[in-house]
Amino acid sequence: MTEATVETSPTSSGVIAKPELPSNGKADVLILMRNLWKTYDMGAEKVHALHGVSFEVTRGDYLAITGPSGSGKSTLMNLIGCLDTPSQGEYWLNGKNVSEMDDDELARIRNQEVGFVFQTFNLLARATALHNVELPLIYGGIPGAKRHEMAKQALAEVDLADRMMHRPNELSGGQRQRVAIARALVNHPSILLADEPTGALDTSTSYDIMNLFEKLHEAGNTIILVTHEHDIAARAHRIISIRDGLIEKDERIR
Amino acid sequence: MKLIRSDILENLWLALATLRDNKLRSFLTVIGVIIGVVTVMLIASIISGIDTSFTKEVESFGTRSMYISKYNPGIHVGRLSREERMRKPLTYDDAIFLSKLPTIEVAVPFLEITNNFFGQKILVSGGGKTSAQVGLQGTLPDFERAGTQTVAEGRFFSQFENDQNQSVCVVGSKVADDFFPFGSPVDATIKIGSEEFRVVGVLQKREQFLFSGGSDDQNNVIYMPYNVARKLKPNSEDVELMAVAKPGMMAEAMDQVTDALRVRRQVPFGSPDNFGIETTESLISTFHSITGGIAIAMVVISSVGLMVGGIGVMNIMLVSVTERTREIGVRKAIGARRQDILWQFLIEAMTLTGFGGFLGLAIGWLLTLVVKLIMPSYVPLWAPLAGFIASVGIGMIFGLWPAWKAARLDPIESLRYE
Repeated sequence: MTEATVETSPTSSGVIAKPELPSNGKADVLILMRNLWKTYDMGAEKVHALHGVSFEVTRGDYLAITGPSGSGKSTLMNLIGCLDTPSQGEYWLNGKNVSEMDDDELARIRNQEVGFVFQTFNLLARATALHNVELPLIYGGIPGAKRHEMAKQALAEVDLADRMMHRPNELSGGQRQRVAIARALVNHPSILLADEPTGALDTSTSYDIMNLFEKLHEAGNTIILVTHEHDIAARAHRIISIRDGLIEKDERIR
Repeated sequence: MKLIRSDILENLWLALATLRDNKLRSFLTVIGVIIGVVTVMLIASIISGIDTSFTKEVESFGTRSMYISKYNPGIHVGRLSREERMRKPLTYDDAIFLSKLPTIEVAVPFLEITNNFFGQKILVSGGGKTSAQVGLQGTLPDFERAGTQTVAEGRFFSQFENDQNQSVCVVGSKVADDFFPFGSPVDATIKIGSEEFRVVGVLQKREQFLFSGGSDDQNNVIYMPYNVARKLKPNSEDVELMAVAKPGMMAEAMDQVTDALRVRRQVPFGSPDNFGIETTESLISTFHSITGGIAIAMVVISSVGLMVGGIGVMNIMLVSVTERTREIGVRKAIGARRQDILWQFLIEAMTLTGFGGFLGLAIGWLLTLVVKLIMPSYVPLWAPLAGFIASVGIGMIFGLWPAWKAARLDPIESLRYE
């Protein structure tokens, strides 16, 4: 593997200046992280949540990020999900230099490139399943009729076509998580980022959800799973273990 | 702007849903706004009622009429200045002089003798009743030609009766009704002070300004020949003049009357008039300036209600932002920008107060129907418009800080919020 030369774009929205890909040529690099640092200023002392993390994720990969609490796992997830920017280092997502973007540009990236799935589903309680799924499309500025169409299709993909008009409190935990997954998928994002997606579900429902992820992966989606449960992580194709703000292990298991 | 257009309707629906889910809380929050809007509606309708009623009365005096007194025109507040009190009275001769001006059709003097020399009201009795509330005026028969009063029954007294000091009189409709409810007062006898008068005519009832009564009642009046009135109260200086311009010559007539009176009253060149001329127009505009002032004062007072309502809205919006921190986090995570969140909460606040404004309009409208029973009034269009715009504006102003707070929330922190 040759050294990738990175053209650092001077502008924050470096959309065009894509880094040169690794010369093995077959893989399409979706995520490129170079020497990422995240430092929190806690008054007197500086806490380094991440010190120099570098890795790549190719399109269509199924990755799990594991680690004990306090390992920097959540910080890494926030960076991958563009909820936060690194203190140092570079992060390229789908050819865009995310590390230097401002709040509104990040919101745009989150809307277009990232689909979030949360542990506690985080659906809007007052809105129907359909409306919940439409939400990212509203912020994406997609007009009403097309929005309905796309949301219905996403709900059908997670087998909830018949529950569209139900509110979250009329759905089971598994169904709620599937609505959340539909919401994450509806904009056809580059990555599906799931934070402990089975943490609030019982074992059999967890397996259903994991099967759904597998199906979505087979359909070509890039999935990143953040979890501290080993059996959940074991369903992925690649596991990155984080400890003390560094990558401890990066192994491909499938 | 694209970002506003894409979700403004969406936010409105969301806001209405929130409103529906918190009916009681929303209602209590916007009570201040409701009261403010109701007040605006009520004030507008009451003032419109007073204006209409006043205009009607004043216009019944004729649009070509001038009322001339030795006092300055307009509204007097407090004691008159010494100069004004010491001015010499207008006279019978002034009236005769004015009546000969080419632009003047009729000019007559009025000698006010309602009060006797000691300031007491002169008693009037007839048909077995006595009243001290009747206005007593001495004038000339030309008054009938001024066209502001019409004889309903009988006739006006004549110049001959005036010249011969005959004790005859013409009575207002209220005098006729009060003293002679069952028959015609014509040829009946009325006792004014110690003198007996023969009634020769009854005047048509005329438009009244709201709440006028007693000796202010324009129908509770007796007109008698000027000379007779002068005889009843020889020392009276209380003379006012009325002059009616020839058709289409109001402006010229005003100038001629002013010039003539300045010469007759020896006003030095460059000094202000030492008399006042009121016209229908000037009376109405004076009155409008008063009611306008009252309206502004009342609007200021009602805006206190709106302010209090606004603070309530700000409070409830801050609570709402805190309650929905997690929702804000989720929205940001899936792509809401700062201005998206800002607009969401701004529109929610505006919907809340707009709803209050709407309730206020409904309640206010019902109350104006009640006002309508008391006086002829209407609600001018500006009142509901201003009320509604003010209430939505209050939502925007007081919703800005909570919405800004929501927009600035950090997505990571908000997602972690329990």
